[in-house]
Amino acid sequence: MAKEVYRFSAGERFVHWCHGVAFLLLLFTGLGVLVTVFQPAMNIFGGIQVTRNIHRVVAVLFTLGMIAGFIGKGVGARQMRRWFKDVINFRNDDLAHAKNFGIEFFGGHKPFPPQGKFNGGEKLNSMFTILGTLCIVISGYIMWLAPSGPSLLLQWAYPIHAACALFMTALLIAHLYLGILHPDSNQALKGIFTGWVPAKFAYEHYEKWYNEEAKETIKG
Amino acid sequence: MARKMVFIDTSLCTGCKACSVACKAWNDLPAEKTQRISSYQTQADFTPNTWTYVRFREEYKDNKMRFNMLKLQCFHCADPACMKACSSNAIYKTETGYTLVDKEKCIGCGYCVANCPWGVPKIDEATNKMSKCTGCIDRVESGIKPACAQTCQPGAIHFGDRDEIMPQAQARVAELQLTNPKAHLYGDNLMGGTTYVYLLQDRPDAYGLPLNPTTPISLTLWKDIVHPLGGIAIGASAAAITVGVIVNFVRGNYANRAKIIAESHDEGGK
Ligand code: HEM
Ligand code: SF4
Ligand code: SF4
Ligand code: SF4
Repeated sequence: MAKEVYRFSAGERFVHWCHGVAFLLLLFTGLGVLVTVFQPAMNIFGGIQVTRNIHRVVAVLFTLGMIAGFIGKGVGARQMRRWFKDVINFRNDDLAHAKNFGIEFFGGHKPFPPQGKFNGGEKLNSMFTILGTLCIVISGYIMWLAPSGPSLLLQWAYPIHAACALFMTALLIAHLYLGILHPDSNQALKGIFTGWVPAKFAYEHYEKWYNEEAKETIKG
Repeated sequence: MARKMVFIDTSLCTGCKACSVACKAWNDLPAEKTQRISSYQTQADFTPNTWTYVRFREEYKDNKMRFNMLKLQCFHCADPACMKACSSNAIYKTETGYTLVDKEKCIGCGYCVANCPWGVPKIDEATNKMSKCTGCIDRVESGIKPACAQTCQPGAIHFGDRDEIMPQAQARVAELQLTNPKAHLYGDNLMGGTTYVYLLQDRPDAYGLPLNPTTPISLTLWKDIVHPLGGIAIGASAAAITVGVIVNFVRGNYANRAKIIAESHDEGGK
């Protein structure tokens, strides 16, 4: 008897993977410009000029995909807006979870107050990602489209773009670990593919959300 | 080879624009349609095929007009911002004091364009390569004057070893200062000391030149702080997850996984 509850709608899963795949492609093609020794690797896609163009094409698709995910009355879009509102609302209970996060990260456990649909650690990750994505997108379009020449706008876009790319990559490494390698938290992985997560796992990690919403969707 | 210097004495310049023609002839650069910009100026800015042009500013004083004329080209900074900005290590310095671009390595990203305090480099859209004054490196390293200096009739462009030209430039400023206290050198203490140094007869802004050209702070932040710190953050994150896997393993959390997963599929609740 494998009991599961419904966590992510198709729309949320679409935006997550749109973001993830685009991020990796943009990172790979961006590193060809940032790291000189990495430039030969760009031959996989046909050389540095080709990857510079891929960076731009993927950037546009990435931006449109993100925006589309939030627009409209569909379940997915409503859930995306709910996620946004949830994660920017950071309370004491979230802080209490985030404080214990280091222990969980290394495989220990210390009780934390019941969490909503997104726990304190996830909220922090989400907020960094929202801020970083906004900054990298805006600076990226400036680097691409601003009139060429020595302007402050262009000059400041460079360090911002690079900082977002590198620090979000550091964050992504920890995110991949928790989703794939971490023996406990990786049970969430199924959720972002199929939408369903193990029931007791959901209860233990998001007690408030489980009792208020998820319980009703239980199957199996 | 000794460090070279080019001294441009604006008090001798007649604004004839022969330098810009000579530059095109020697460097095989196609002519471009000119237009009247203001006063006698016919080229607005550098282009991939225009590496030097004369800027004209009219100054009125006591009912008299004076042209502030300036032959512009790359300054060949000793500590060039373009080189620091370059994504591809395509820009390098020669022992003789010139800043050159290796077209093989250049990818046309334009980072140099945005960071040169004088807006010198331009990207040739057709070839995707940066293009600017080479200082006539082929000539100067064979001991011949650069084309623009060679052609200058009134002798406003002096070329030679820095040790020889600098005292001449200083003597000329001292001479002019007797009648014009505003006369001064521009470039000798900018950007680490430029290879092209000007004698100006008024404040730099009267010539449309920046007063304090410097390496942008954003460029230092980007290359000296963001890049290394970002690399450290990625390394630290990778190290943390490696430790995470090891600690989880030692604690037996992986061995326990079947049990964890089985139990987690129970119904939630106490
Ligand atoms: C969505 C909008 C984005 C746009 C419009 C954009 C645009 C650009 C542009 C124009 C450049 C300059 C290099 C060139 O001319 O080829 C660049 C560099 C770069 N991009 Fe993006 N980009 C975007 C998103 C991203 C994302 C999400 C990442 C990260 C993973 C990324 C990583 C990089 C990196 C690492 C560089 C090199 C930076 C450096 O040299 O310091 N970009 N981007
Ligand atoms: S003037 Fe500009 S292009 Fe020339 S060396 Fe200096 S920074 Fe580079
Ligand atoms: S355009 Fe060429 S020379 Fe200029 S920064 Fe980019 S790679 Fe370097
Ligand atoms: S030094 Fe040579 S390349 Fe530079 S402006 Fe003079 S003629 Fe042109």
